[in-house]
Amino acid sequence: MADRQTRTPTQVDKTPAEELLDALGPVDRYHDYEYFGDFGMPARAMMEDLVVGATHPGRFGPLDKVHAFWFAGASCDGCSVAVTGGTTPSLESMLLGAHPGIPKVVLHHPVLNMEAGAHYLRPAEQAVLGELDAPYVVILEGSIMDEVAAWRAGGYWSAQGEEPWGPEGELRPVSATEWIARLAPNAAAMMAIGTCATWGGIPAAEGNPTGAMSLMDFLGKDYRSVLGVPVVNVPGCPPIGDNFNETVAAILYFLQGFGPLPEFDELGRPAWLFGETVHRRCVRGAYYEEGAFAQEFGDPECLVEIGCWGPVVNCNITSRGMINHVGGCMNAGGACIGCTMPGFPDKFTPFYKRPPGSLASTTVSRMVGSVIRPLRKFSNNNLNREVRWDRQHATPSAFSRKRPGRRHWPTSVTSSTTRCAARATPRATTLTSGASATRPPAAAAPTPASDPDRSPRRCVSKPSRSSSTRTAPPHCAAASPTRTT
Amino acid sequence: MTIAKPDVALNEVERREGIERLVARNGHIKDLNMDPVTRIAGALAVHVTADLEKGVYLDSHAQATLFRGYEVILMGRDPRDAIFVSSRACGVCGGVHAHAAAYAIESAMGICPPPLGTVVRNMTEAAEMGYDNPLHLYLLAGPDYCEAVIKASNPELWPKAESWPCPNADIHGFKTMAELMTALNPLTGNLYREGLEFTRLSREMVVLLTGKYPHPENVVPGGVSTTLTLQTLNEFHSRLGKIFDYAQRMLAVWDDIPAFFYEADDRYQLVGYLPTNHIDPGYWDDPYAYDATYENCNSWGEKRWSTPGVVIGGELVTTRLTDINIGWEEFVEHSYYDASHTSRYETDPLGNPLSPYHSWNKRTLPKPGARDWKDKYTWACAPRWDRQVVEAGCYSRLLMTAKAQKMPASDFMSATGSSMRLLIPKGETGEREVEWHAPERWNAFERNRGRAYHYLFSQLVALESLLEAYKLMKQGEKRVAALNPTELEKAIPMDERRSVGWWGAGRGWLTHHLVMDKGKITNYQICTPSTINASPRDPWGQPGPYEQAVMNTPIIEDVSDPSKFTSIDMLRGIRSFDPCMPCTTHAYTGDGEVVREVNTCSCGGD
Repeated sequence: MADRQTRTPTQVDKTPAEELLDALGPVDRYHDYEYFGDFGMPARAMMEDLVVGATHPGRFGPLDKVHAFWFAGASCDGCSVAVTGGTTPSLESMLLGAHPGIPKVVLHHPVLNMEAGAHYLRPAEQAVLGELDAPYVVILEGSIMDEVAAWRAGGYWSAQGEEPWGPEGELRPVSATEWIARLAPNAAAMMAIGTCATWGGIPAAEGNPTGAMSLMDFLGKDYRSVLGVPVVNVPGCPPIGDNFNETVAAILYFLQGFGPLPEFDELGRPAWLFGETVHRRCVRGAYYEEGAFAQEFGDPECLVEIGCWGPVVNCNITSRGMINHVGGCMNAGGACIGCTMPGFPDKFTPFYKRPPGSLASTTVSRMVGSVIRPLRKFSNNNLNREVRWDRQHATPSAFSRKRPGRRHWPTSVTSSTTRCAARATPRATTLTSGASATRPPAAAAPTPASDPDRSPRRCVSKPSRSSSTRTAPPHCAAASPTRTT
Repeated sequence: MTIAKPDVALNEVERREGIERLVARNGHIKDLNMDPVTRIAGALAVHVTADLEKGVYLDSHAQATLFRGYEVILMGRDPRDAIFVSSRACGVCGGVHAHAAAYAIESAMGICPPPLGTVVRNMTEAAEMGYDNPLHLYLLAGPDYCEAVIKASNPELWPKAESWPCPNADIHGFKTMAELMTALNPLTGNLYREGLEFTRLSREMVVLLTGKYPHPENVVPGGVSTTLTLQTLNEFHSRLGKIFDYAQRMLAVWDDIPAFFYEADDRYQLVGYLPTNHIDPGYWDDPYAYDATYENCNSWGEKRWSTPGVVIGGELVTTRLTDINIGWEEFVEHSYYDASHTSRYETDPLGNPLSPYHSWNKRTLPKPGARDWKDKYTWACAPRWDRQVVEAGCYSRLLMTAKAQKMPASDFMSATGSSMRLLIPKGETGEREVEWHAPERWNAFERNRGRAYHYLFSQLVALESLLEAYKLMKQGEKRVAALNPTELEKAIPMDERRSVGWWGAGRGWLTHHLVMDKGKITNYQICTPSTINASPRDPWGQPGPYEQAVMNTPIIEDVSDPSKFTSIDMLRGIRSFDPCMPCTTHAYTGDGEVVREVNTCSCGGD
C-alpha cells in the first residue's frame, strides 16, 4: 500500500493533496448546529469566550485576531508537548495577548481546548466555507499519511472528527489529511512543526505501511498561501518549543509592522534558527578542535566517534537548550542523530555508530590537536598563577597540598576538577613540602577499587581531559610550569 | 448503591438489536457528532448509546482512530535503532518507550547496565512523571472541574461550591470550593498556570540528563550516555527541592475535589467506575538487583520501587513478572488488523506455556476498513490478562506496591497492605506524612486523586535515586553504560533471541516484546497502557475498560432539557484515564435516547 506514493518513480502532475480531493469529491453539507445543543461541552464556554476578558486591543498592526488551527497527522503529540514548554514567548502568554504587537490568537488545539466535538470543529468548517471572521493559519504536527490508499480500502489511517460528507450526506470520519487539503488554499500561512510534518520523519521511514510524507510534499512545490508564503517548516523530533513559538511570534510581529521580515531558507526553515550546524555552537566543539574524542558513553569530550552527526546537521539546540536554556543533546551527553534533518531517520541509522565521513576529519583534528593541546596546557597553567605566587614560589592554597595523615575531601570526589587537582598536587608538594608523591592521590584512592580497567586510561592516556579546566579554580594551578622548572 | 454492570451475557448482536428496538420506539432520532473530544492526547473514539430518561449509558465502543505503523517500520532494522525509533511512538510522557526498548534490547543481548546507568534512568523516568502528572491534572482533566465548566454543565453545583469550605484550605489556600474551581480555569486560573510552570520545572530536570524531551537523546543499549558531573546532580537536586511544597498543595487540591463531589451527589462515586482489576509490570529498577535476564526477572522485578503485579477483584494475585508475561494475550477480532496470531513460540524461555495470541507470537498486519460494530471498529487491539479485562494507570503502581508490601526500604515510602505512607520532605513548609488508601471503588475522582499521589511517589523515587547517585559518585563510580559503541556493535548476536522490556509510562503499563535473528529485528510488539484501556470487545464479548467505564457512568447532569445535555459525566470518566489520544464523539439522540461516539486518537494504535 505504501508503494503507491512513496515509490512513485516519476513526478505526477497532480499534488497528493489534489489527488486526495479528487478522490473524495467536493463537499457541500455541514453540521446543523441547532441539533447539538450543548453536546460536547461547553458551547457557552468556548476557549475563545474564556480568555476574552484577558485580551485587549493592541496599538500595533492591521490584525486584531488570527485563528490558528492545529491538526495532528501521524503524530506522537510530542510537538504539542514541546510547545507547551516554550517560554520565549510562552503559549499562555501568546494566547492571553501578553506581548505588545501580538494580535489575539484564537488557538484551536485538540489537546488544550475546552470545547469538544462538533463545536470544536465548527471554526474549521467555517474556514472551509470561507466564512471565518478572521484570517487563519494551519499548523500541522505529524506526517501526512496516504489517505487515498486507506479510502480505497474503505477506511482511514487517522481521523479527526466526522462530517456529513459521505456520498448520501452520511457522517464519515474526516482525516487530518483531508482537513489540511481543504484548508490550505485559503490559509494565510501553512506551518509544519516537527520533523514528521516538515520532512516525513519516522512515520515515513523505510518500510512504513502508511505512505507517510511531509506537508511540503503533500501540497506540492508550487504551494503558496494567500499571503504568498510557501510552507514554513520548524523541524526537530521533538522541535525546541521556543523555536516554534518564536517563529510564530516573529511572523506576527512582522505582519503587525512591529518586527523585521523573518527570513526563511530554501527549505522554509527560519534562517536565523537553522542557518548554522549544531556543531558550530556545540559546548564540546573545542574538544574536536583539540582532537579529543569520547570513546565511552558518558565521556565529556566530543561525541563524533560515538555516533554524533552534529558537524553536518542544521540545529540550534546546543546554544538554545531544550527548555529555558537547559539541556541540549550534546550538552547532556547525547550524540546528535540528525533529528532536524530531511534525511532523518534512514540516512542516520544504525544509531550509535560513527558517521562514516568523520574518519578523515577526526584524524586531522587529532594530529593538529596533539600540537595545540600541550601549548595550551602550558599557557593555561601559567595563567592559573598570580604573579605574586610566581615571585614568592608559593603554593596557592591548602587544596594543592597533601597533608600527612589526613585525607582531605577532594580526594573522595571524582569530578574532572579534582582529577586535575590531584595530578597537580604531587609536583607542587615536591617543591613546597618535600614530599615525594609520585602518584596522583585522587587517582590512587577511589578509582582503582571501583574501576580498575578504566582508571589508568582515564588519568594517564587521555591528557586532553585537562582542557576541561579552562576555568580551573586556583587549586588546580599548583603545577605551574614556572614553579616546576 | 448498586453498580450497573455491562451485561456481557448478551452477545453483540442481541445487544445491538435491543438498543435499536429501544431507539426505534422512541421515535425521532437526532444525529449528534462530538468530534473530537478535546483535552486528551492522540486519537480515540467512543461510541455510546445513552438513555437520558433513565440517566444511563446503554452501550459503548472505544475506537482508536490512528495508526502509524512503528512496529512495521522496525521490522528488519538493526536492534540498536529500536530505542530512538520507538521513542517516537509517544511524545506525551516522553522517554518511556526509549527506555522500554533499551530494556528489551539489553535482555535480548545479555547486557546489564552498571548501577549508575540504572540510577540515571530512574531519575529521568521519575522526573518525566513529574511533568506528565501535573500536565494531565491541570491542563487536561482539571478544566472538567473548573468554574467555567461547572457553571455551564453543572450549574446546580455552583451555589454549593461557593459555600463549601475546603477541608485543606490551610494547605492550598483556597477557602471555598468555588475559589478552587476558579483557580482551575484554563489559562487564567492560578492552579492551571502553576501546574504548567511545574511541568516546565520537571522538564528541565529531565533534559539535564537526557538533553532533550519528550524524546531523550541519552538512552543507549546498556545504560545511558549522560555525562554526569556534580553540577548535573546539584542542578537536578535544586529543582527537585521545589517540588515537595508543591506536592503538598497538589494533594490537598485533589483530596478536596472528590470530597466535594461525593458530598454533593453520591452517584459521583460511579462516574467512570470499574471493578478493581489492575495490572502493572513495575517501574524503576533496583540498580544492584537488575541483571537484564528473563531467568531472574521475578527476583529483580519484585525489587523495583513500584512492585509489579496483577490485582483481580481487589485481590493481589501475583507479583511475578513471568506470570504477568505468560498470561498476556492480544486479540484483533474487532481491530483493523488481519488475524495476527502464530504458534511460533509455544513456551517462554523458562518453559512456561504461551498462547498463540501472546505478543511474541503476534504480528502487526494493518488493514484499514469500514467501521462495523459487529466486526472491526478500532486501531487498538484487545489485550487481556488471563483472558480478563484489566485496567492500567500510574495509580496502579500505588495499588500494587501497597498490596504487595515488597518495596525496598526507604525513609520516605512504605507500604501497609492497603495503603501507602509517604513522607513529604521539608521545604518551605515542614515535613508532613500523608497516606494514600486504596479506594474501595475506582472511579474518575479516585483515578485523579491516585495520579496526584503518584506524582509524590515518583518524586520520592527521584529523591531516593538522586541520593543513590550521590552515593555512587562519592564511591568514585563513573560508568554509566556497560559497553562502548564498538563493543556494542560486536555484541549484537546473530542467533535468534527474544525478550521483553517491562517498563511504565505516565499512564501505567508499558511493554516492548522483541524478537531478533541474524542481527535484525524480526518482530516488535509495543503494548501501551492506552491500548489496554481503549481496547475493544474481546472474542468473548467483554468490553474494554473505557467501554465498561462509560456504561457504568450515571448521567448526573441536568438533562430535563435534552439540548442542554453536555455529556460531562462521561467525559470526566474518560479523561480520568488520561487517554493518550485526541478525540471525537458522535451521537444520535432521540427523545430520551442518545446513541453516540466519542472519537479519540490513540498511541494505543501503535
